[in-house]
Amino acid sequence: MLLRLLTWPYVRKHKLRAILTILGIALGVIVFVGMRTANDSVLYGFQQTVDRLAGKTQLQISSGETGFPEEVLERVQALPEVETAVPVIEATVRTGLPGQGNILILAVDMTGDRGLRQYEFEEGDESFIDDPLVFLAQPDSIMITSEFAARNHLATGGRISFDTMIGPKQFTIRGIMKSGGLASAFGGNLAIMDIYAAQQVFGRGRSFDRIDLKLKPDVPLARGQSALQTLLGSGYQIEPPSSRGQQFESITRIFSIGASLNSAFALLIGLFIIYNTFAIAVTQRRSEIGILRALGASSRQISGLFLLESAILGLAGSIIGIAFGLLMARGMANYVSSLFGEIYGVAQRVETVAADPKIVALALVIGVATSMLAASIPARDASRVDPAAALHKGAYESFSPRESRLRLIAAAGFLAIAAFSLFLRGSEGLRLYAGYLSVVLAAILLTPALVRRLVVALRPLLRSLLPVEGALAADSLIRSPRRTSATVAAVMLSISLVAGLGGVSNASYESLMSWMNNVLNPDLFVGASEQISDRSFRFPASIGGELRRMDFIDELQMVRTARVMFRGAPVMVVAVTIDSLSRRVHPQVIAGDPSTMYREVAAGRGVIFADNLALLKGVKLGDIVEIPSPSGVLKLPVAGITIDYSDQQGAILMDRSVFVRNWKDDTVNVFRVYLRKGVSASEGKRRILDRLGAQSRLFVLTNDQVRRFILRVTDQWFALTYMQIFVAVLVAILGIVNSLTVSITDRRRELGVLQAVGGLRRQVRQTIWIEAMSIALVSVLLGLALGAVILFYYLGIIREQIAGVRLEYEYPVRIALSLIPTMIAVAFLSALGPAESAVRSSLVEALEYE
Amino acid sequence: MNKFLAVLFFTAALLRAQDARRIMQEVQDRARAASQRYEGTLKVIDSRNKISEKRWTYDRIGSAGSSKVVIRFSAPAEVKGVALLVVNHPERSSDQWMWTPALQRDRRIAFQDRSTRFFGTDFSFEDLEERDSNQYDYTILGEETVNGAPCWKLESRPKKSKSSQYTHAHIWVDKARYVFEKIESFHGGKLIRRLIYGDYRRIQNIWTPLTMEIEEVGRKSKTILHTEKLQYNVPMKEEQFTLQALRRES
Amino acid sequence: MIDLQNVSKQFDGKRKVIALDQVSLSIARGEMVSMIGASGSGKSTMLNLIGGLDRPTSGEIVVDGERLGRASGDQLTRIRRDKIGFIFQFFHLLPTLSCLENVALPLHLRGWSRRRIEERARELLDLVQLGHRLDHLPEELSGGERQRAAIARALSVYPPILLADEPTGNLDSQTGAGILSLIRGLHQRLESTILIVTHDMDVAESCPRTIRLKDGKVIEDIRR
Repeated sequence: MLLRLLTWPYVRKHKLRAILTILGIALGVIVFVGMRTANDSVLYGFQQTVDRLAGKTQLQISSGETGFPEEVLERVQALPEVETAVPVIEATVRTGLPGQGNILILAVDMTGDRGLRQYEFEEGDESFIDDPLVFLAQPDSIMITSEFAARNHLATGGRISFDTMIGPKQFTIRGIMKSGGLASAFGGNLAIMDIYAAQQVFGRGRSFDRIDLKLKPDVPLARGQSALQTLLGSGYQIEPPSSRGQQFESITRIFSIGASLNSAFALLIGLFIIYNTFAIAVTQRRSEIGILRALGASSRQISGLFLLESAILGLAGSIIGIAFGLLMARGMANYVSSLFGEIYGVAQRVETVAADPKIVALALVIGVATSMLAASIPARDASRVDPAAALHKGAYESFSPRESRLRLIAAAGFLAIAAFSLFLRGSEGLRLYAGYLSVVLAAILLTPALVRRLVVALRPLLRSLLPVEGALAADSLIRSPRRTSATVAAVMLSISLVAGLGGVSNASYESLMSWMNNVLNPDLFVGASEQISDRSFRFPASIGGELRRMDFIDELQMVRTARVMFRGAPVMVVAVTIDSLSRRVHPQVIAGDPSTMYREVAAGRGVIFADNLALLKGVKLGDIVEIPSPSGVLKLPVAGITIDYSDQQGAILMDRSVFVRNWKDDTVNVFRVYLRKGVSASEGKRRILDRLGAQSRLFVLTNDQVRRFILRVTDQWFALTYMQIFVAVLVAILGIVNSLTVSITDRRRELGVLQAVGGLRRQVRQTIWIEAMSIALVSVLLGLALGAVILFYYLGIIREQIAGVRLEYEYPVRIALSLIPTMIAVAFLSALGPAESAVRSSLVEALEYE
Repeated sequence: MNKFLAVLFFTAALLRAQDARRIMQEVQDRARAASQRYEGTLKVIDSRNKISEKRWTYDRIGSAGSSKVVIRFSAPAEVKGVALLVVNHPERSSDQWMWTPALQRDRRIAFQDRSTRFFGTDFSFEDLEERDSNQYDYTILGEETVNGAPCWKLESRPKKSKSSQYTHAHIWVDKARYVFEKIESFHGGKLIRRLIYGDYRRIQNIWTPLTMEIEEVGRKSKTILHTEKLQYNVPMKEEQFTLQALRRES
Repeated sequence: MIDLQNVSKQFDGKRKVIALDQVSLSIARGEMVSMIGASGSGKSTMLNLIGGLDRPTSGEIVVDGERLGRASGDQLTRIRRDKIGFIFQFFHLLPTLSCLENVALPLHLRGWSRRRIEERARELLDLVQLGHRLDHLPEELSGGERQRAAIARALSVYPPILLADEPTGNLDSQTGAGILSLIRGLHQRLESTILIVTHDMDVAESCPRTIRLKDGKVIEDIRR
């Protein structure tokens, strides 16, 4: 009842502000729903493919990404607990068909695989493949899904070309699967081929990527798992198929954290916009509240009214946010998907971007809760309105001395906590998060005092610029500290986050550049894929011999990278001919003796850890680490710790001989090629392709191309930062427009007088513009200052909690300098609307207004 | 029941079992040869009467549970050179390997896959196996006439129950020639395959079926194997029946 | 100096209100006129129309030769700025500006030089006998002083017309009398045309001419 009587007329009168407030929450919810849905869709797509491929598989045996020798299969099949065990190789290749992108090739042993997977065939269900013997006898046999066949007008007997180890290769379609089930994995872009043919085509040697198995009906999963583990040793992972999804999640963990932080950030901003609106509404409706109180409304009814209003706004914002978030999710999912492919080399395909009811429900709860939380302080203020005092107009926009004092004391307290936490030892996470939170809270509490000081300092400057307009704008801000500081706090926070993230991205680039300069210095990289991070294809070691015979090559390093499980995380093993590598690269050494550590590693007596991995896993110089390999657990001391960005999860560098011995795999991902003096990169590239290009799948990338690739991926990664700048701009627009619409109401009489005594419309507009730009300037200055502190915590959190990366503190001056004019311009644009509405309002009413 | 009668009954049953085993032993003995070679034509007639044909040459050294077999496909062109090596063991299931010349590599046919169909025919990989009669227990079920020939109807059950996809089989043995006329293989109560031997000729004093017709019941398809140029006791060496030889001779 | 011809003003709300109904009126240069009438008789509306704060629904208003009806918003402001000074019942001083700054406001808006503004503002404050209160904020002044400051602001460029809306309405009678005598003094000294809206008969009768309005019509025009 109260709502209909009181709120509705108010909302109708302040339509714009209501819309802005709803947008504030909507924005947070959009980012939350969009990011989450996109992320989940990618994970879901991956899991979906895994599930469909898995069929009746109960357990999967793998050894990191490296694969393992064929012999393991017979040992597994001989185990009494095992009913069926089949080898699998998976590879993602480009189809070369327009608009089709990648296709996932599942290579299996066709003789036995039907025990695990349901292959449903087109045309007469028992015809199997046209002729299974022909399928196996001919290594170019492939089976595709009816969906893929239909999309590309292919039929049995037709031919299709894929990129393989031996260059583009023609395959003959000898079977077509019915859609649904297995055939719908990877969005239907699935092809089945013979595993032994795949070994050759994808350069796997005599190894399998994986064994899929089903246990005897009476064997419980745990018993089968432990029997297999005992049989194979700890070099193998024996997990149900679902754990591949978890692994994928763990690989992409950093991205998920980033996405969550983004959503939290957007919601925080929404929180401030709501707070801002309600703080303003409560001050404006003070006399109305006073009348209500005088008429007998309890303070609980009053605060309930405001909370109900905020819940309704939150609900409206959430619904809009969910709708737009889901709309955005598709585009974002494709972006996330391609980013994952490039950074992690993990192929996945987003099939459906669907609204997860849990996310939608959570978004509703979060939206409404955020809104109510934000309104809770203004609602409490409203409930405390003294009926007698409220009916008198007065300077209620300001803070009482008591409140100001309390704020200062609380802020000092938080600063003390932040300072204290700097010296706290023990829990790094707690220390950083507590410090970070305290600093932010202190900043919010101090905002009114700081804003006042800054505006007072700014006033003479504005006054000298435009005596009337400038001084009045400054006075308007000083006179309404509540309104002003609510807006400034919101904009300040978003600016500080942008500055902090900008600092992180700058530092990351800087660090990456220096790593690239020190370590990524070969003239050419010869790889089996266009993308250096793609590990679907590998070279036989013999290619190395052929390259070595080329007289224009000065030095050659064979690199094999593979993900293995180390202490529960998928990390990258980088196996290189260390002896040669140590002559060429000069990484930043964090621990260990640069002169001796390479000797130890080259001799197979140690490994070098990437600094980030060492930190995240608590590995110290001299520790004996255990790395699982198909030949058992490899125990080697850590001979050194260096800065290494070979992989986001962290890399372990070992000598190639150690890898070949323990993984029984001498294939190569990439050759690092140093050319002789006088041979240009393009010439070297041409000559390598001339000699080898025809006979095998080979991509030669120049140093420049690799760098550009890394930078491009990094750019995409930090595109998130730009999105945050965008959000910050939106926040500024919302906050400033909100603040100004209130301001012009408050200043109505003043603006009327101004016009009555001869102020032109231009002059009225100017004073509003100046007010907006002053808010922006003050917010940016405070935000940039806060950002300097926040950056410190960000770097700490990234190092200690998320990525283990050591980044130098350097203030992002360029970003800071560009933010000032940007935000002032944004403020100016935001002020255009309110300024117009100010000059268009009736002068007579303005002057009568009291 | 009278104790005496009971003893008599069991003794009789035992005697019958012994008779069955003797019959099977006789079958195995009469077919014994140092080696065998033939050229086979394999015709698969599927449920829609589509006929596909393959040809192979078949070499066997030794007999029954200690024999070794190499099958080499010779037609059609797409499968030429594909070979299968079966090494039988008296006490356990055979080892089987397949060789694909285009890939230049062999692959093991795992035990778990023995029940799957042998490349789209009605045979399973297990059906290529020859087992020693000692691996089974036999009982005589009665006497029936098949294809005009009076037969004993025997039942065989593998001694190690899990070594076969079949729980038992019914075998019709020609009383006059001691050869198989028909074999029906079961899993539980369900008939899985029916194999009919025909066109018996006496080659080098061994009654030999020149046609075998196998049917996987319920699939409405049929596979017919015709043998030609069948010979026994062709000179062969053990070394020809190894994985190395398989690789070498492709 | 001020000419109204058939001026009507109608407010379109839920119910239409005719505030002025076909009023024609002429005020000569240097006249000092008071306007009286009950609340809602249209006297404030007429003042707002003459001052260019509002536009008539029909009819023409000419102020010092300028036709207000055809002027744009900014032209109206310029007419106001050059020809009209406003004195309000509630003073309408800007609370954050000092006495001097308030008076200087219209001069700043005209873009005068700082030195000239300073000189003029002091001169005006001396004129209203507030020379000693230059740096005080409005809230530090008494009611009478505030109105004097407001009058000083209205005089800024010595406009030919002064419009006063209940200038004494918010003051006690003694202070009101002081303000009235100040206005009368200015009238004599500056020879301005002055129009005072009031409901105080003493104030009205102290003017040589009094116009009485009722229901948007002039019902009496007394010249003494």
